[in-house]
Amino acid sequence: MSITSDLIRGHTDTIILAHLMQTDSYGYEMGKAIQQRTDNLYEMKEATLYTAFRRLENAGYISSYWGDENTGARRRYYAITARGREEYFRLRAEWESAKTMIDKLIYLEDNSNGK
Amino acid sequence: MENRIREHVEELFREAPQTRKTLELKEEMVQNLVEKYHDLVAEGKNEKAAYEIVIAGIGDVGELIDDLKMSYVSDPFEERKAKQRSALFTSIAVMMYILSVVPLIIMDELNMSEVAGIAIMFVMIALATGLLIYNNMTKVHYRRTDDTVVEEFKEWKADRGNNRSAKDAISGIVWSLTIAAYFLISFATGAWHITWVIFIIGMAVKNIVKIVMDLSKS
Repeated sequence: MSITSDLIRGHTDTIILAHLMQTDSYGYEMGKAIQQRTDNLYEMKEATLYTAFRRLENAGYISSYWGDENTGARRRYYAITARGREEYFRLRAEWESAKTMIDKLIYLEDNSNGK
Repeated sequence: MENRIREHVEELFREAPQTRKTLELKEEMVQNLVEKYHDLVAEGKNEKAAYEIVIAGIGDVGELIDDLKMSYVSDPFEERKAKQRSALFTSIAVMMYILSVVPLIIMDELNMSEVAGIAIMFVMIALATGLLIYNNMTKVHYRRTDDTVVEEFKEWKADRGNNRSAKDAISGIVWSLTIAAYFLISFATGAWHITWVIFIIGMAVKNIVKIVMDLSKS
């Protein structure tokens, strides 16, 4: 599990950008969505999430604004920018090629059996 | 429990600089953590268990604090370079003011035209004044390194100082020109008994400039 977590953590930026491609969102909602999509197998730490928010915002890939909730504390929402969309497609293409390469490198038996 | 979550977050960020960024991050975290806590309680967890899950989910905030500290530092090297340049310009200007009378003395000794000496003197004064103005206009504006109240105050102070030094410079030009006009007209016409009026006109011009500047500011 911990190795899987490390692997996923390397793609935190891509995961956040992917989520924001759908809709604007805030920290807890994103964390919950990530947990639910992985059937509760992966939970992103708050610190990891916020560090990524700062990094992405400084890079100009996302922007943030404070919502105006009527009840309770105000939420800080994040929205993806035009440059963020470009970055998302770039990261996704990168992941696709890495996935293909890693598959070729570790499924050696399947490859030889298939031929 | 909400207060306990807030206290915990405060404790985590105790070492972070007290800036607006830190404050906003803490606000954001507390809001999200409290929402998570309420969700867990709604799912049927007891308060203590929910609190523990929330706290365990925060993780290591070391990197976040480092980021907050990083954005707090300004660049002292650039600041020093700008100060040195400014000092050089001011020194040259002062030197030109002092040396501006030399041509007049030399011309006088050589029994040449006094008017030429005076003209050179005022050219030098004008150049020196121009240098001072240029120096003030291009002076590095104090940039806020972060959104603390102290930084805001420094910026406000720098702004005020800038405005005043611009006024001083303009006042300097007006007086130089007034003196130049006084001597030139007096020597040319020989009407020394009346040319003192130029000083009063100079004063009026200076005040008009000041009013125009104040008005355009507000």
